[in-house]
Amino acid sequence: MAKNVLLVDDSSTMRKIISRSLRQAGLDFGEIYEAGDGQEALAMLEKESIDIVLSDINMPNMNGIEFLREKSNRPAIKDIPVFMISTETGEDIIGEAKSLGAIGALKKPFTPEKVNEVLGPLM
Amino acid sequence: MKGEQLNSFTEINEKIIESTIEIFTGMVMMEIAVAGEPLQTMGPLKKSITGMVGLAGTHKGVLAVHFPKPVALAVTGSFLGMEVEEINEDVQDAIGEIANMLGGNLKTILSDRGKDIHLSLPSTIYGDEYAFSSQAEVDQVILPFQAPAGIFYVEVELER
Repeated sequence: MAKNVLLVDDSSTMRKIISRSLRQAGLDFGEIYEAGDGQEALAMLEKESIDIVLSDINMPNMNGIEFLREKSNRPAIKDIPVFMISTETGEDIIGEAKSLGAIGALKKPFTPEKVNEVLGPLM
Repeated sequence: MKGEQLNSFTEINEKIIESTIEIFTGMVMMEIAVAGEPLQTMGPLKKSITGMVGLAGTHKGVLAVHFPKPVALAVTGSFLGMEVEEINEDVQDAIGEIANMLGGNLKTILSDRGKDIHLSLPSTIYGDEYAFSSQAEVDQVILPFQAPAGIFYVEVELER
């Protein structure tokens, strides 16, 4: 069954580009939901049936690390997998994200081919 | 500029050029090329939009991208796959995101572990005529690039 995806990024441009890349990569997914920061993402996860989250790190209000930390404290949503897509790919910050439950990371900029390679197995 | 810093900046230039071309080829879907030697200063920007991110921590400074309006509209149009006629929220967001991706790469260039440099959220300014300059003592480089719609610039300023 195709997975519903939540894109979390403060840039509407980047949300469109990720959405386009998922389509161009030929991945089989269901609905795409969008959130502009971690707070919106938490609300969306509690409201909609979402199977996987693709999240930026550097965002206003609640960044990707804070989002992971808060999500891990909410039993109803804590097991939904989160994959980071960010310009922030230093090993320390990605290590912190993974320690909070992130299952992987993709660096911006990316190509549809890279999206397919990295996200294909998760879809 | 000291010799050591010059070497360092030469290395930064090469990597910023690589990153800029990678971003435009892979994500903006637009072919670009280096348009001559780096500049040390630039005059007032006219009918342009600038996207920028700040760096704080072990390296302090700013990375900015300066696009004349026609280039910004063409870049945003190609990035988003739609026609754009005026500088609007989409253009500001797209230009800010290009600065953000370049800033992320600059952070990686300056610090391989990344945690000792903090990147600000991107911001944009635009107008009929404005100057972009730093108050602090900085080493500065401005890299010109040729896009189909015209020349744009990537600027890096790092505090000495």
